[in-house]
Amino acid sequence: MIDDQHWGFILAAYALSICVFGGLLSWIVADYRLQNKALAGLEAAGAKRRSDGDLE
Amino acid sequence: MNLAFANPRRFLAFARLAIPWAGILGALVAAIGFYGAFAVAPADYQQGETVRIMYIHVPAAWLSTACYGIMALSSIGTLVWRHPLADVSAKAMAPIGAAFTFLCLVTGSLWGRPMWGTWWVWDARLTSVLILFLIYCGILALWNAYEDPARAGRAAAVMTLVGAINLPIVKFSVDWWNTLHQPASVFRMGGPTIDGSMLWPLLTVAIGLTSVMLALHMAAMRNEILRRRVRTLGLIAASTESRDFSR
Repeated sequence: MIDDQHWGFILAAYALSICVFGGLLSWIVADYRLQNKALAGLEAAGAKRRSDGDLE
Repeated sequence: MNLAFANPRRFLAFARLAIPWAGILGALVAAIGFYGAFAVAPADYQQGETVRIMYIHVPAAWLSTACYGIMALSSIGTLVWRHPLADVSAKAMAPIGAAFTFLCLVTGSLWGRPMWGTWWVWDARLTSVLILFLIYCGILALWNAYEDPARAGRAAAVMTLVGAINLPIVKFSVDWWNTLHQPASVFRMGGPTIDGSMLWPLLTVAIGLTSVMLALHMAAMRNEILRRRVRTLGLIAASTESRDFSR
């Protein structure tokens, strides 16, 4: 399919794109797990907020 | 976004459903676009196969400015209405926008080397996109410079709105200055100059990646809401402990 002399540039561009999307997705998933774990730990320790609907 | 979801609890319920749908649907649409880009669209008569880089470079470039646009709108929400979800949205979008801008710069460089004979040139388009990336980095640094997210949100909102002046410069740089970068060939007066066989895969990838970007944004917003809950509960737990200790 790619018989051009510049195929290396094309492959590098798409390989980098996969790395960037993969990195972004992994970071978001890892952060989600980390925050859920921290929240569960605090709730298990009995910490409660006056209102659940507010951020602060 | 609908104001009915401008409440963290409602947003979390909405995001739980919307994130997988937007992410999976976006990935499927992008995959169809990439299939068209590699298996259906022809090679360019001048650039040969190297034109395939366009199908990732151009959507990344569009999304780099779209992400900043969403951040700027969220910043208005922070400064005018002081809505807590507005600065959550702005903070969540910063690393995603920075990632798309980085991708745009590097894939552009990988496209420029074989076509222009150079990795980089200080022309108006490339320089203004580099400035956009540096603004994203500055905003990310600002978010991390403050302990209190509300103070960080206001400072980052001001910086985001000041930086928004760069968006029209990015868009119109190829018209205002004589650049090595080509002028607009899709969103322009008089219609696209790209042949339909190349245009549909390009637009399909762009639509798919936009949906993926929205899924990532909602997921990052959900993380930020949880982070603020953890911070609040941590402060409550610390103040309860110190009260018990002083008794």
